[in-house]
Amino acid sequence: MTAKPHLYALGAIVVLGLLAAFGLHEAVVLDLVFTLLLYAVLGQSWNWISGYAGNISFGHAIFFGCGAYASALCVTHGLSPWLAIPAGALAAAALALVTGFPTLGLRGHYFSIATIAVAALVETFARTTPWLGKANGFELPIASGWAALQFPQKGPYVVLALVLFAAVQLATIALERSRLGYYLRALRANHAAAASVGIDERRCKLIAFAWSAMMASAAGVLYAQYTLFIDPPSTLALAISIDIALIGVVGGIGTLWGPAAGALVYVVLAKAVALRFGGAGKGYDLVIYGAIICLIAALRPYGIVGTIVDALRRRRGAVA
Amino acid sequence: MSALLEVRGLAKRFGSLRALDGVDLDVAGGSLTGLIGPNGAGKSTAFACIAGAEKPSAGSVCFRGREIAGTAYHRVAALGIGRTYQLVQTFADMTVLEAVTTGALLRRPRLRDAVAHAEEVLAFVGLSEKRYRLGRALTIADKKRLEVARALATEPALLLLDEVMAGLTPAECRDAVDLLRRILARGVTVLMVEHVMEVLMPIAEHVVVIAAGKTIFSGTAADAVRDAAVLAAYLGSPLEHGEIAGHAP
Ligand SMILES: Nc1ncnc2c1ncn2[C@@H]1O[C@H](COP(=O)(O)OP(=O)(O)OP(=O)(O)O)[C@@H](O)[C@H]1O
Ligand SMILES: [Mg+2]
Repeated sequence: MTAKPHLYALGAIVVLGLLAAFGLHEAVVLDLVFTLLLYAVLGQSWNWISGYAGNISFGHAIFFGCGAYASALCVTHGLSPWLAIPAGALAAAALALVTGFPTLGLRGHYFSIATIAVAALVETFARTTPWLGKANGFELPIASGWAALQFPQKGPYVVLALVLFAAVQLATIALERSRLGYYLRALRANHAAAASVGIDERRCKLIAFAWSAMMASAAGVLYAQYTLFIDPPSTLALAISIDIALIGVVGGIGTLWGPAAGALVYVVLAKAVALRFGGAGKGYDLVIYGAIICLIAALRPYGIVGTIVDALRRRRGAVA
Repeated sequence: MSALLEVRGLAKRFGSLRALDGVDLDVAGGSLTGLIGPNGAGKSTAFACIAGAEKPSAGSVCFRGREIAGTAYHRVAALGIGRTYQLVQTFADMTVLEAVTTGALLRRPRLRDAVAHAEEVLAFVGLSEKRYRLGRALTIADKKRLEVARALATEPALLLLDEVMAGLTPAECRDAVDLLRRILARGVTVLMVEHVMEVLMPIAEHVVVIAAGKTIFSGTAADAVRDAAVLAAYLGSPLEHGEIAGHAP
């Protein structure tokens, strides 16, 4: 299977994104594009451990939060926000390893439960710890320029989000063509058979989880620099973890473009409901979203992209 | 002649059930050894303990002169023991090629090399035409063939085959025997569980019989069907078509 079509598609998205970043000046539209890209990154991050490896995480917001808080801490302590990228990644990977080490080799739902528990713990910790801003969170001091990773317009943020999205998609294309990618899919399909061909379940899944956490953290850094305000509800809450999981499931778990498709559905739906019902519509999008998920679960467990892939494979299988 | 695999006093308890209670067996390098016994004798459990899927309760498993009892499942595979399952365990949503490539990745970390090796193994077992089929869409005979291919792709020194011919038509069985011979010719040592004695007689140099978790016989297939203890063990259980008693002189 060649990667070329995927690379062309990614290239097209990057070009479109750049055109939007430099050509459009409507803040609302750029905000939508930025949000879409960020959600696509978060969905893909979740997809690594929950889609490809098949261990559902319900606590992904904390990795996003690691990046956001790293950013806030760096900036408020007079350090470069660029430092938050490695620092947040380190913290996120450490959290992932601590959560995954005891649970990723076990059968059953221990891993999913552990992600919820650790996420609740981390959120409470942030809420009550003075140096993490307690419930108030952080307001980032205003600055401008690439060194400060802050910009008066939204265009540069879209460019940054685009870079992150492209990097994450490229990493996933590489994953699908790597030993790790094959091993994760094999483990998801049949862990016993996977072990019989020499696959170390815990090792593979820990690696995937650590990468997954670091991607989410990078999105968190960008988010903090964009909104310039973070607090537990906006970065660590269970609701965000659920949103990330929903995006991953709707698009199609374990597929390259699933998270992007899921993010598109999610963002468009949320926006449409907000436009149609205004503030009173809060929650309607979730209802519609829930209905879509039920539909997908009933008809096709593989989501939007999974269904397309399946159809393509069937055609090729019939020919071969 | 030193044995590739030496099992001594292997025991496995599931709660109060003694599934294995003193299994001894030797497999000489380059040979095909048959493992037979009545239903529930513990053959599959013995395979699981040798391969590392289950931890033995007691006993030793010596592979290439090295004690491996209790070693993690995936490590045993890396040491050179491949296996198939009595009830096939396919990677359902992988294509045939992807599944065999997964096996090949054990010794060839680069995907390109692994795919090339998988293609070679698929040609060897005769599954090349079905390389883009999904594992779950295969017939039972092809699923068993796929399991053999997946295990072979890890380039094992010893291959454990658990009833790979059960449920196959006579024609499919002949193909499978032919494949077995070619596997041996490739230099892979085989230990196989098989119910149909007609199949085992001409190809197994050596036969080990277990009953109720114990080794009760070890020798040539021709001697096995004359052995009093073996006959008693089989007569004590419901006979199946083609089983050992049918060949008693
Ligand atoms: N995981 C397990 N837990 C509990 N009991 C088990 C387990 N696996 C096997 N047993 C029991 O151990 C005994 C031996 O089973 P095993 O499958 O090894 O026999 P077998 O010789 O392979 O039989 P068959 O010819 O039917 O395949 C049986 O009584 C079986 O019920
Ligand atoms: Mg059995």
